[in-house]
Amino acid sequence: MGAVHSRHITNKHRFIGFVLIGLVVYILSNIVDEWRAYQGATVAVFVVAIASVILLTGYSGQISLGHGALLAVGAYTAALTQIYFSAPIWICFVAAVLSTALFGAILGAAAARLSGPYLAGTTLALAVGLLSIANQFSILGGEQGITFDAGWPPLSLGETFTQYKWFLWIATLTALISLWWIQNILRSRYGRSWRAVKSNEVAAELVGIHLGRSKVLAFTVSAGIAGLAGALLAMTVNNVSPSAFPLALSFSIATGAVLSGVNTLGGVMIGSLALVAIPLIATSISDRWSGSENLATVLPDFIVSALLILTVFIAPKGPIEKHRSRHSK
Amino acid sequence: MFEFVNTLLIGITAGSIYSLMAIAIVLVWRSTRVVNFAAGGIALASTFVGSTILEITGSFWIALPVAMLAGAALSAFIEYFFLRPLLKRSGDKNQEIFLPIIATLGILGIMKAVLHFIYGEKIGVLSPPLSDKGFIVSGESIALSPLRLLILGIVLLLMIALTLIFQRTNIGLSLRAASFAPEISRLSGIRVDLVRTVGWAISGAAGATAGILQTVNGSGAVTPEAFEFSLLLVFGFVAAVIGGIESLVGAVVGGLTLGIILAIILMYLGSSLVFFAAFLILILVLLLRPNGIIGVKGGRRA
Repeated sequence: MGAVHSRHITNKHRFIGFVLIGLVVYILSNIVDEWRAYQGATVAVFVVAIASVILLTGYSGQISLGHGALLAVGAYTAALTQIYFSAPIWICFVAAVLSTALFGAILGAAAARLSGPYLAGTTLALAVGLLSIANQFSILGGEQGITFDAGWPPLSLGETFTQYKWFLWIATLTALISLWWIQNILRSRYGRSWRAVKSNEVAAELVGIHLGRSKVLAFTVSAGIAGLAGALLAMTVNNVSPSAFPLALSFSIATGAVLSGVNTLGGVMIGSLALVAIPLIATSISDRWSGSENLATVLPDFIVSALLILTVFIAPKGPIEKHRSRHSK
Repeated sequence: MFEFVNTLLIGITAGSIYSLMAIAIVLVWRSTRVVNFAAGGIALASTFVGSTILEITGSFWIALPVAMLAGAALSAFIEYFFLRPLLKRSGDKNQEIFLPIIATLGILGIMKAVLHFIYGEKIGVLSPPLSDKGFIVSGESIALSPLRLLILGIVLLLMIALTLIFQRTNIGLSLRAASFAPEISRLSGIRVDLVRTVGWAISGAAGATAGILQTVNGSGAVTPEAFEFSLLLVFGFVAAVIGGIESLVGAVVGGLTLGIILAIILMYLGSSLVFFAAFLILILVLLLRPNGIIGVKGGRRA
């Protein structure tokens, strides 16, 4: 059960893989235009967000339908840190991670007592409820929100270096570093204890794992990563407002996690790419077939939902595991 | 005092509609251990059916039962063609509830997209069958209107009907047995699969009624992206969880609690806190009782 990793792949191989991905993005970033660079940055944001859900649900076995709210906590923290302390952007990111992790620890302490539908309900209510208090405090800027300005790329990179290319670099580097860290923690004793708790709570307790502590820790780590994703999202759209974190965002992240295969971190790219690419594909399909505006608005949701149901039926453990099990037969 | 009574009346009406939605979610959870987000889509689709029938016949009293039948049929269809094969495939691993949740989210997405495609920007109109002007008590208009009375009446009637079905009929007994111990029920000759589909169908009818009443109680119009329906789904689910997700009585208690507290907050603290309050109520109840108000630890109830 769980993710079975082939023995012969060592951490060194993985590191080379990460560097190669970074290299590919670097080369691509020099070819593509601004719009594609923006989309690339969005993919990187989703990679981080989906990875945080996979860590929580796939490895620790806790359900969250409210990760959009955690992204919002990170985004608001980053923006506030910049506005009030005029801190450099990487400090804003660190602040986002820390404050969201703290928030996650508090939430996780409550969540550790809950399971199944109770946890699903709580996180869902959080996703709907948390953003509404943005209107209560004037420093959060109400519906208009507050700006988060990551700044222009440094001049040393040259005059022609564009804004979104810079965002793409930052987002990709952050995503790669956090993925590297996540895959390491999943292999550490913490990751193993999370998997033990997920597959059998009683057995895990018998070998000396503290159930509550293990669950709260997983929630804290996952929240911290989600906060980072939120800060990255705020960077790419330059703004933090309640409308940027609707319930639909939480659902998209959960959807992306399932499309990636919720039990394996390795597929995280698949879900993120799908979430960004499907609307584009849908638009081009509806443009070609008919000029119907109605079809164009409906098609992306329809394709994502249909793909979701197909994935649940055909590859419930995700495309990577599906591929693996076919080859091991 | 007068204002407070009015607030209570508004809260009880809204809460009774949440209760119906909560019942729809509880019924599905009890019969198949699925958190059913498609319930929102079923309610939405049946409300559109209701509005179409109302347009054709002009009678609310034909539209409501037809919408309930449509909801039941749609719900049974979803169970039979999507959830049953999915659950068969994943076996009896009870702790695995994430995939079914996501599957029902996918079904909800498809239903919304299809409705949006069919109806586009058109809105379905569901004009209330009775006046929504409040009764006049000692010269002042109170929040209790003929319409609200009707809504409360319909909800009460449905709850009595459900109680009778569950306590007094064979199919009710089979429903309880099948959710209590599917294997033993199967051995004693109950067709568990069929019974589960029936559970989903009743849930669909309850959801359809909740959708129609929510629309009539609100703006009287429905669109595929209606905010009222996201509200109904979320609050219905929260009410079900507060009540303990296993119990029909719990669903009613949860729905009324939520409706009344939210109405009070809406009246005295303003609308922007309502959603956060729903979250706080849920967290508080679950911290005190992790299995809901009527829930029993680690167990089940028939």
